[in-house]
Amino acid sequence: MSFFEANISRLAQSDSALAAALRQSRGGTLETLPARTGVISARVHGRWIHSAYDPVKEAQAWVEGQRYEEGETLVVFGVGLLYHVEALCARLPRTAGVVLVVPDLSVLVDAAVARTWDDWMKRVSWAWGATEAIGERISAAGHPLRLVTYAPAAALHSDSHRAIESALQRKVAAQAGGQLRIAVVGPIYGGSLPVTRYVVSALESLGHDVRWLDHSVHATSYHQLELLKNSQHRLALQSKYAEMLSRITMAQLAEDPPDLVLSLAQAPLILPALEHLRRKKFLTAMWFVENYRHLTYWQQLAAGYDFWFVIQQAPCIAALKQAGAKDVRYLPMAADPSVHRPVELTLAEREEFGSDVSFVGAGYANRREIFPRLLGHDWTFKLWGNEWDGATALTSILQRNGVRIDTDTCQKVFNASAVNLNLHSWAGAGLDPNGDFVNPRTFELASCGAFQLTDCRSLMPDLFTASEVATVSSSEALPGEITRWLREPEQRVAMAAQARQRVLAEHTYVHRMRALLSHVGVASPDRIGSILRGDRQAAALAVAADESFSSVASTLRTFPPAQRVELKQLAAQIRSRGPMGTLSREDLMVLMLDEYRSETKDLV
Amino acid sequence: MIMPHDDGTMARRLLIQLARLGDLVQSLPAFVSLTTRYPHRPLDLLCPATLAHLARLFPDVGHVLKWNGAQWHAWADSYVGEIQPPRLREVERYLTDLTAEPYAMAYVLNHHPRAILAGALLASAVQGPCLRGPLDEALSPWASYLHRVAHERGSNRIHLSDTFCGLCGVSPPPYPPVLTVPSIDLPGDLADVGHSVGQWIAVIVGAGDADRSVPVGVWIDWISTLFAHDSPCAVVLVGTERDQVTAFAIQDGLSPMIAGRVWDATGRTTLSQLAILLKRCHWAVGADTGPLHLGAAVGARAMGFYFSRARMHETGPYGQGHWVWQADGAMPEIWPIEASVNVIREPASAAQQEPVPGWSLWQSHHDEWGAIFRPVTDKDPQEDRRATIWQQISEQCVAVQGVQ
Repeated sequence: MSFFEANISRLAQSDSALAAALRQSRGGTLETLPARTGVISARVHGRWIHSAYDPVKEAQAWVEGQRYEEGETLVVFGVGLLYHVEALCARLPRTAGVVLVVPDLSVLVDAAVARTWDDWMKRVSWAWGATEAIGERISAAGHPLRLVTYAPAAALHSDSHRAIESALQRKVAAQAGGQLRIAVVGPIYGGSLPVTRYVVSALESLGHDVRWLDHSVHATSYHQLELLKNSQHRLALQSKYAEMLSRITMAQLAEDPPDLVLSLAQAPLILPALEHLRRKKFLTAMWFVENYRHLTYWQQLAAGYDFWFVIQQAPCIAALKQAGAKDVRYLPMAADPSVHRPVELTLAEREEFGSDVSFVGAGYANRREIFPRLLGHDWTFKLWGNEWDGATALTSILQRNGVRIDTDTCQKVFNASAVNLNLHSWAGAGLDPNGDFVNPRTFELASCGAFQLTDCRSLMPDLFTASEVATVSSSEALPGEITRWLREPEQRVAMAAQARQRVLAEHTYVHRMRALLSHVGVASPDRIGSILRGDRQAAALAVAADESFSSVASTLRTFPPAQRVELKQLAAQIRSRGPMGTLSREDLMVLMLDEYRSETKDLV
Repeated sequence: MIMPHDDGTMARRLLIQLARLGDLVQSLPAFVSLTTRYPHRPLDLLCPATLAHLARLFPDVGHVLKWNGAQWHAWADSYVGEIQPPRLREVERYLTDLTAEPYAMAYVLNHHPRAILAGALLASAVQGPCLRGPLDEALSPWASYLHRVAHERGSNRIHLSDTFCGLCGVSPPPYPPVLTVPSIDLPGDLADVGHSVGQWIAVIVGAGDADRSVPVGVWIDWISTLFAHDSPCAVVLVGTERDQVTAFAIQDGLSPMIAGRVWDATGRTTLSQLAILLKRCHWAVGADTGPLHLGAAVGARAMGFYFSRARMHETGPYGQGHWVWQADGAMPEIWPIEASVNVIREPASAAQQEPVPGWSLWQSHHDEWGAIFRPVTDKDPQEDRRATIWQQISEQCVAVQGVQ
C-alpha cells in the first residue's frame, strides 16, 4: 500500500470527510526531494519549506521555541510535510489539543504522498474548507487557543491565515467580558497626545481599568530645554530628560502593575526600560501613529515592545520586523464620535468659521506650495492653524494670525465649511505620490459629518469608498475638483453622511482598541486572552479551584461573581478574617505567594 | 525559664531559619539546646537552599529542608500576581516534597511573614515570634523583647543567639557549640592552608552591605603591619566572588616581598569548604558578620571590626574569647590597625593597649546566660541584667501560655 493510501485510510477513522476530499484532490503544490539526511523534504518555486539538510531536527528546534500552557489548544498555521506537527505532538502532553489549519488540500495531498503519518495524527484535529468553516472548527476546540506558525509553510497561504486569524480575533472581541488593567503611556506633547486621550476614553468605554501615565504635565519643562541655544547641551539634556521620564514611568508601573502597558507614539520609554519591563514579565504594546518614513526612532525601540501597531502596511511592517519587532500589525487611525461630531452652529459662528473651502492644519511644504494656487477663485477660502510663518501669499486667508486651533474650533470649522480640504503633509511639492496611510483628520472630518476632499492614499480604499470620501490625485486637479464639489451640495451632504456612518460602524477608537486587545488576547491566550475571556473573574476562578482547593473556592465565592480577583485581593480577603481567623493550608499557601508577590518589582 | 511544651512524645520537630548565613550560624546555640533538651526527638532544619550544605554541619541535625525562595518568587511573579488554581497544585507538591506529614512543632526564629507562614504550613504547632497564628500581630514575650531592642538600641546585653534560644523555649547551651566540619579537600593551593608553622589568619575582605566594608587601604595597612613582625604568619583572603575585586586590590597594594604569604580564597570555596578553611585558621578577622560567625563556630578565634549598624552585644561572634573592636560612629576615620595586630600577636597584653580614638575593645565570655561582651580596659558601664531579663520574660511566657 502506498503512503497516500495508508495515510488516508488512517485519516478516515477520525475525519472521513477530509479523507474523501483528499481522494478527490490533486497535489503538486510541493516539490518533494530528499534532504541530506535521506528523509523527504520539500520546496515551492525553489524555496525550501523544510530543511534541505535535516527536516526532523529542524522541526524539533521549531517546537523548542513554542510556548504552551496547561489546558490550551494549539492552532498550527503551516502544513508542509507535517514534520513540525509530528514534533509538536511528540513534545506536548497527551491532553493537549492540536488543530492544524489546512487552507489548501493540495498541500495535504502532497504531504500524504510523501511520507507516512504515524499515531501522532490521531491527536490532530483538521480545520479545513472555507475560512468560515475553518474558524468554526477552531472555535469548536473550546479551550484557550494559542496560535503557532511554522513560517516557511505558512507563507504559502498568508492571506488565508490572516483572514482566519481576524475571524478568531473577532470572536475574542465578541466574547470579551473581563476587565483588563491597562496603563496607557502618552507623549509629552504633539499629535499623539489627543490620540492618547481618545484611546484612554475608548478603553474605558470598553470597561477596562485604565491608568493614563500622562507626561504632558512635563511639557513646560521640556519646552524650556528647547530654548537652549547650544544644540549640544539641548540634545544632551533632552535625552537625559526623556530618560528621567522613562524612569518615572517605570516607578508608576511598579506601584500598580498593569496587565498591559500601551504606549502611544513619542511615549518616553527608552529601550533599556522596555527590556527591563520584559524581564519583569510586563506585556507592552506600542501604537505607532506616525509616518515611519519621517520619524525613525522606532528603529531604536523595535525590539523593546511585545506588540507593535502601525498605520502603514507591508513596507512599514517589514521594516519594523527587520529592526527586531516580533509582532507588528496594521491598525489604522480612527475618530472619537463623542468629540468629532456634527454640531449646531449659530449664525455668528457660521459667519466666523464658515467658508466655501477651508483647511485646518500646519504649514508643511506641500501645502505652502499648493494653497496659493487656490486663491483668486470665486470661492471663499479660509486657512486655519499654525506654523505658517513666512507664507506671505496666504496671509489674507490665514485666520487668527496663525495660532494653533483647538479641537472645539476644529469641529466648528469642519461643520461650517462646504469643502474641507484634507491634504496629507509632505516635505515635497504637490501631493505625496507614495502616500499610503490615512491621517486622523480623514476620520475626524467624516465623524463630524463634514464633506472632505482628500489627496489619494493607497490605503484609503480599504477604509472609505469613493462615495464616502472624495479624493484628488494631483494638485493641478485640485481647483477643478473644488469647483465641481461646490456645485454638488446635495451629493456633498450625502457623502458626508455616509462617511459618518462608516466611521460609526468601523472606524472609532473603540473599534481600534477592541481590535488591538483582541490581537494581544489571541497572541497571549494565557494572559490577556484569559482575562478577556473572564477566566480571572471570581466565579470562574472558584469553579477552577473547586476540585482541589475548596477553601480557596469558598473564599473566591465571597467576591461578586464578575469581579476580577488577583492574588493580592484573595490574600487581603483571607487576612480580613482577623487575628483569630482560621486558616486552611490553602489559605496559607495563598498568603505565602502574596508575600513573595508584594516585594517591590525592582523596576526603578 | 523552661517552656512547658514537652509532651514526652517522639514527634518530629523543625527549626526554621530563613535568613542569611550569619543568622543561620547564630541559630546553632538554639539548635544545640533543643537537641540537648529533647535528645530523643528528631530535629530537622529548614533554611534557604543556598545554605543547606552548611546546615548539614549542625550537630545531630536530622533532615535539612531546602527553602527554594527562587521558586516561590517564580510562582508569585508568574502572570504578575494572578491567582491561578492550577499553580496551587505545584505549590502543594513542593510542600509535600518538603514533608509529607506535618511536623509536631516548628520553631520559627525570624519575625518575618514568610518564616511564620512556613511554620504554619509545615507544622501542627508553632513556637516563635507570634503568640497565635500568622494573622495575629501580637508578639510573644521574646519577640517583643527583640522588637524593643531593635528600636531602642539600648543597653541590651542578651546576644541574638540567646534570644533565639528564648524564642524556642530553651536556655542557652552551657558551652558554646561548634559545627561538625567534614574532612574534605580544599581546591588547589588552598590545600596548604593551615599546614605550615605560624599563625594563619583569615581576613574577611567584604561585608554584606557596602557601608559595612573595611576600606581596601585599611586592609593593606593591616596586613603589612601584621607581616612587619618577626614571628611567622600567613593570611588567607576570604570572601565571595563579589569580593574578588577587593581581594585583588589588596594584593596589588601589598609589597611583593610579602605577597607570597597571602592566599586568595575569595570566590573559590563552597560554604562547606569555607568552614574547613576557617577551621584551619587560627584567627578570622573582618567586618562581615556571616563568615565571622562561621569562623567562631568552627573553632577559630574571631576578631570583628563593628561599625555602621553592627553592635557586638547582639551579633558579636558567639563563644568564649572572641574580640570585637566597636566603633563609636558609622564610618571610622582612623582604624585600630597596630592595636588589633598586637591583640593577635599577644592577646594577654590587650588590657594594656593604648586607647584608640573612636574605638573600644571588647571580649566575649560565656556563662549560663549565654554570650556576653565585656570591655577589655574599663569596667562595663552597664549592669549585667541578663538573669533578670530571662526571669521576667520566662514569667511572661508562662503567663501567656496560661492565657492561651
